[in-house]
Amino acid sequence: MSAPQNVSKVKKKFQFPGKLILPLLDIFTLAIWGVVLLKLWSSGELNLLIHPNYFGLVVVTGLALLSIAAWKILWLLKRWRQQASGKSVTMSVAQHLSLFPPGWSSALLLVIAIVGLTVKPKVFASDTAIQRGITEAVTVTRLQPQAFKPLSKPEERSLIDWVRTLNIYPEPDTYTGQSVKVTGFVVHPPELPTKYLLVSRFVITCCAADAYPVGLPVKLKGSRDKYPVDTWIEIEGEMITEKLEEKRQLTIEASSIKKIDKPANPYNY
Amino acid sequence: MNQLNNGFTIFLSLLVEAMPFLLLGVLLSSLLLFFVDERKLLAVMPRNPLLASIFGSCVGFLFPVCECGNVPVARRLLLQGAPASMAVGFLLAAPTINPVVIWSTWVAFRDQPEIVVLRVLFSFSIAVVVGWVFSSQKDLRPLLQQKMTRLMRQSSPSVQRDWIDDQTKIEKASVLLQSGSFLLGQPGAPLRLDADTVQSSVAANPTKRVSDKLRLFLDNTVQEFLELGGVLVLGSAIAAVIQVGVPREIILSLGQGPVTSILAMMLLAAVVSICSTVDSFFALAFASTFTSGSLLAFLVFGPMIDIKAIGLMLSVFKWRAIVYLFALAAQLTFLLTLFVNLKIS
Repeated sequence: MSAPQNVSKVKKKFQFPGKLILPLLDIFTLAIWGVVLLKLWSSGELNLLIHPNYFGLVVVTGLALLSIAAWKILWLLKRWRQQASGKSVTMSVAQHLSLFPPGWSSALLLVIAIVGLTVKPKVFASDTAIQRGITEAVTVTRLQPQAFKPLSKPEERSLIDWVRTLNIYPEPDTYTGQSVKVTGFVVHPPELPTKYLLVSRFVITCCAADAYPVGLPVKLKGSRDKYPVDTWIEIEGEMITEKLEEKRQLTIEASSIKKIDKPANPYNY
Repeated sequence: MNQLNNGFTIFLSLLVEAMPFLLLGVLLSSLLLFFVDERKLLAVMPRNPLLASIFGSCVGFLFPVCECGNVPVARRLLLQGAPASMAVGFLLAAPTINPVVIWSTWVAFRDQPEIVVLRVLFSFSIAVVVGWVFSSQKDLRPLLQQKMTRLMRQSSPSVQRDWIDDQTKIEKASVLLQSGSFLLGQPGAPLRLDADTVQSSVAANPTKRVSDKLRLFLDNTVQEFLELGGVLVLGSAIAAVIQVGVPREIILSLGQGPVTSILAMMLLAAVVSICSTVDSFFALAFASTFTSGSLLAFLVFGPMIDIKAIGLMLSVFKWRAIVYLFALAAQLTFLLTLFVNLKIS
């Protein structure tokens, strides 16, 4: 946070601020992006954006950007002192590519950084799940587990474990009678009868842009209206095979459904 | 409102995931200004055109630059007497065949390793083939800008020139480019003056201190990071808008056709101009709706040719040469990725 404050101090000292607007804008942009990355990390919002494997990269980048900004300020100060003491110093602004006029790119980045500091990223919910095609989730081919180990107890499998297992052995009858305990959010797919809902989670491989939903149908005793869309639930029950949309599908027959709080990290990996 | 928020989340996640790779790429490309000496490289280069083309395509491992850094380097190579096959091979392959890009592609497509492998393989083959085709043109000068040919005549190997000197020339060229193109619309005069000042001061003072080099390194890093960051912001915004705003039926009907998906992604690649170190994250946004072949087409074709790169290439080549490059690369990409769509996936 100290870098942006420095900037304003430096600005006052200079005699010809007009020449320095662009370099200062650059420095400020770098510093504020460093702050944005570190803030997203420290507030935990990074969980909603990218896979935890890459948190380290983001933190290092944040620190690096702050250091570069600090380094750049030191140079500016030094040059200003040299100028003040009457030494002639050649100043060069190395311009490389130019898709934008000078300063535009920095200004754009700066605006986005400020928005990034103020607007909170959002957890994807059922609308995104339906838009991204949750009903295809069970046959999704992107799940390629590196090492598949048959999980010891079926009730310890998470939703994503179930979907992975199902991808390896797709025959739903294999699982009949196995007990289930999974958590996820509620989706009401329009094509399923009202006795059924989908319990789903988003899976992230890299970042939110590739988050894709997985889900399993749940057979309820009554209507699904008791569990509104996007409620987080914990389901206990048994696996059965149901014929839904002309397809035999592995379905959870719920014995108990508990409403729970949205987990701090809503994604599965 | 919900849509807007979803879109923003996707946009921010793309930016956050891409920033580290962008910074790494920029730092490395600035460092190479210090450590890699093109003249030594040219000395060990094979003379056979095909081998030279292969050699040029692999040089990217030494120059981890994306498509914005490769034009200046290819330019330096040509000025120092590299044959066309090598320079063109380098120009097309370097943005993809380098460690940073391969790593970021791997991060994005961990689930589909075949995309990573085929991206490298296709880019490499296309670069080698196009480089080889260009080697049939013995004298490259008719294809180059007049300014380049003049500089080539001036530069004799006996003159010891260092990178700052070259750098200044590139800056001059890009300034000329700016003032010649209406897309940019920026005041070129002060920049040109600056570049001249640097050049004369450098010429008068051939021994440079480490601190000067460091300052240039820093300036180069900051400039490139901010310029490319701006492009990244635009690219991520386009990806997010398409993901959230365009109805799924349209995307699916476009993205599932073996031919239409490839054409759509190649067009997108040319327009979006996103830097090759981070373009795999952009492509990832389409991974669930578009065919693998079309994702590959984006990843292979994008780094070779896009609107931004054409601007830069015009500082080296004449239009005619760029059209050849463009047509050859586009056809090869299309055929290879169509093969993937029809035969592999």
